[in-house]
Amino acid sequence: MAVMTETSTTVFGQDTLPKLFRHVVRERANRVAMREKDLGVWRAVSWREYGERAKHVGLGLVALGLRPRDVVSIMADNCPEWLYTDLGTLSVGAVTNGIYTTDSAKQVEYIVNDSGTRFFFAADEEQLDKILAVRAGCPQLVKIVVFDPEGLHAFKDEQVMSFEDLLEVGIRYEAEHPGAFERMIELARPDDLAILVYTSGTTGPPKGAMLSHRNILFQIDYSDYVAELREGDQQLSFLPLCHIAERTVSVFNPLRTGATVNFAESIDTVPENIREVAPALFFAVPRIWEKFYSAVALRMRDATGPGRLAYHWALAIGARIAEHRIAGRRPALGLRLLFRIADFLVLDNVKRSMGLHRARGAATGAAPIAPDLIKWYMALGIDMREVYGQTENCGLATAMPADHIKLGSVGVARPGTEVRISPEGEILLKGPHVFLGYYNNPVKTAETVVDGWLHTGDVGLMDSEGFVRITDRMKDIIITAGGKNVTPSEIENQLKFSPYISDAVVIGDKRKFLSCLVMIDHETVAQFAQERNVPFTNFASLCRTEEVQRLIGGEIDRVNRQLARVETIKKFRLIEQILTAEDEELTPTMKLKRAFVNRKYKDVIDAMYAEA
Amino acid sequence: MAETLLAVSNLETYYGPIMAIRGVSFDVPERAVVTILGANGAGKSTILKTVSGVMDPQKGTVTFAGREIQGMDPDKVTRLGISHVPEGREVFPFLSVRENLMMGAFTRTDAGGVAEDLELVYSYFPILRSRAEQRAGSLSGGEQQMLAISRALMARPRMMLLDEPSLGLSPRLVKEIFEIITRINRERGITVLLVEQNANMALHIADYGYVLEVGRIVMDDTCARLLEKEDIKEFYLGMKESGVRGTRRWKRKKTWR
Repeated sequence: MAVMTETSTTVFGQDTLPKLFRHVVRERANRVAMREKDLGVWRAVSWREYGERAKHVGLGLVALGLRPRDVVSIMADNCPEWLYTDLGTLSVGAVTNGIYTTDSAKQVEYIVNDSGTRFFFAADEEQLDKILAVRAGCPQLVKIVVFDPEGLHAFKDEQVMSFEDLLEVGIRYEAEHPGAFERMIELARPDDLAILVYTSGTTGPPKGAMLSHRNILFQIDYSDYVAELREGDQQLSFLPLCHIAERTVSVFNPLRTGATVNFAESIDTVPENIREVAPALFFAVPRIWEKFYSAVALRMRDATGPGRLAYHWALAIGARIAEHRIAGRRPALGLRLLFRIADFLVLDNVKRSMGLHRARGAATGAAPIAPDLIKWYMALGIDMREVYGQTENCGLATAMPADHIKLGSVGVARPGTEVRISPEGEILLKGPHVFLGYYNNPVKTAETVVDGWLHTGDVGLMDSEGFVRITDRMKDIIITAGGKNVTPSEIENQLKFSPYISDAVVIGDKRKFLSCLVMIDHETVAQFAQERNVPFTNFASLCRTEEVQRLIGGEIDRVNRQLARVETIKKFRLIEQILTAEDEELTPTMKLKRAFVNRKYKDVIDAMYAEA
Repeated sequence: MAETLLAVSNLETYYGPIMAIRGVSFDVPERAVVTILGANGAGKSTILKTVSGVMDPQKGTVTFAGREIQGMDPDKVTRLGISHVPEGREVFPFLSVRENLMMGAFTRTDAGGVAEDLELVYSYFPILRSRAEQRAGSLSGGEQQMLAISRALMARPRMMLLDEPSLGLSPRLVKEIFEIITRINRERGITVLLVEQNANMALHIADYGYVLEVGRIVMDDTCARLLEKEDIKEFYLGMKESGVRGTRRWKRKKTWR
């Protein structure tokens, strides 16, 4: 792709999200835009209905006093109403901001005030209670709209209304002000703020990253980097829409591709929902890919002897094909034929069991992943590509090219953008994807974007062909007491490849040696204990059993053998509590937060070093 | 704590293809009252049935007084000293109360001891004496529960397995039954494993408790401490903060800590 000039970021000739949305709603009319499961039946929403409801949300908000550039916050799990509100708000020239449903009332208060939110959308009673608890401290808040009013029939409050009622207000406003909506669509300019995305600060409070229409359209324009999607292709939406990656994949990209977005019923039903939907493109964070792999690995251990043999035979053939692909060679005809047989007999069933048999493309990002895991998916015949980026560059900065794969790297710069490594080793990005800055925070903005270069905070390397390798987060690099620099995430990724380890945090800054805290995978470790008749009652007692300690010790030794001597982990402890997304130790994408973990488990950590 | 009388380890029990108990381990110390709490279908009754030999486990061991008893026939288990009071009483409706009680002593040959114990259960439940010749089927629910417990006592057990003794009883009767259970434990030194949905009652009379959810133990602690846990309060005792609106329908996520 040629280097684009600043003014040429358009999709279907449209230069803002409202115009693009209007365009595709007209074009696609009665074709299916999304599906939601209602009482066990998938119900379709057409693009026309999508457009109508978004319009009525937008006009309803205007009728209630929404002004251009006002901020609207949405606190709900993925659902059609989220999208109506998102596009409806954008269409009338205002700004949307997502809030994680796992956030506490206190966090909600901070974000609502920092963003100056005037309209707040709450999924249900539970989220409503959070905003009600803190609204006294949010003077600029005008209205709270509830998507699902179940259980609230007896509840009357001046400031609270149902989503249905808001649509009614919008319909009335449209009747009284014909043509108003058309004019509002024209309000936004390409470089205007479109959405706010709050990034969970591991240090300090969250910051609102400002993304413009141009940022987003620029990324939409690259939506086919993994697989070219067509109308009628299915996607499954289940990662939080507050995250830029899911927002791009499930809300923005379909504006261009026309793929149908299916909403998972809940996070617990994702495995079943994937099988039902059989998505054409599947984007997930490493944790999800790890879980799929663990499930298959465990099932194979329980399989019959011949079943296991067949699996290993087929996987070995797949792995040879993958090696060829990675090397950029075309496999010999014999091997290709053999793979077809292996796929037909075995691999296709494995893919079916995960619901990925129709996936033409798969992508992983938002966190580091073990290269072996990518290789495993490639051996199954799934075109799995690693991507890298952050909120501040609207999601995607680099991606693995289809025809040239270097495992362990995150691919090359997205076309139309530049990547550079600073003298300090930091990865810098430049291009139309670089954000407008942090909301009301010029100081942080100036620290982050210098001369048009976005400072990612990631340390990495770039080879002569432009492949970027991420070493770690700049602030995560461990300098041991011996002065040795260690990049914890590389070790942690190796550890997480074990089906028994859900996540791990390596510790050792200013310490004599490295240690780590391990969060075990409850399901697989419980099964391990049960198979070996290791008695345990609850999670903590499971962690404390000698056998589990030995199991994890063995997994750590396995990783240690691949590391340099100074980098080996000498001690470890298990986190004896089941952590959920509500816990501050975890990010909403279920990654352990290093800073919090270091603080919260200080006693445990100190004890490890004290006894040495 | 006292010696472990019953030790259950890695128990797995199936109903056909359905795994009802998914790897459960727990201990019951001698002379203790231990309770297992859980919702419908959590697998509480299945545990008791597996211990008493009514069901055979697929896996795992049940050790009673140092002897492995899993898979043993129920009558043998009874002879070893475990009496099971099943859910729903299960008295013999067409036999008299006295005959029912004598059925409980079927394992015994010491006529003198049996007569002594008959007096004993009549002293615990005087109403049974006055109804001794009546058919058991004509008793009220509460009286049937008393009969079922008494019948189990007639085997002079070391340990009693009680499956929801409060089921379908009035609050006053529930209180009475639980008082007797406490007395049986204290006065006779009988170890009790109690399965209950009435968590409030169970936690107040038991020493130690396990919480079972879909076939797995998610929490265990002394009952005094369990009563203080947020999850126990909200999900088992029906106590919750009413929230900003004064009413709250949604449930917190259980964390079991």
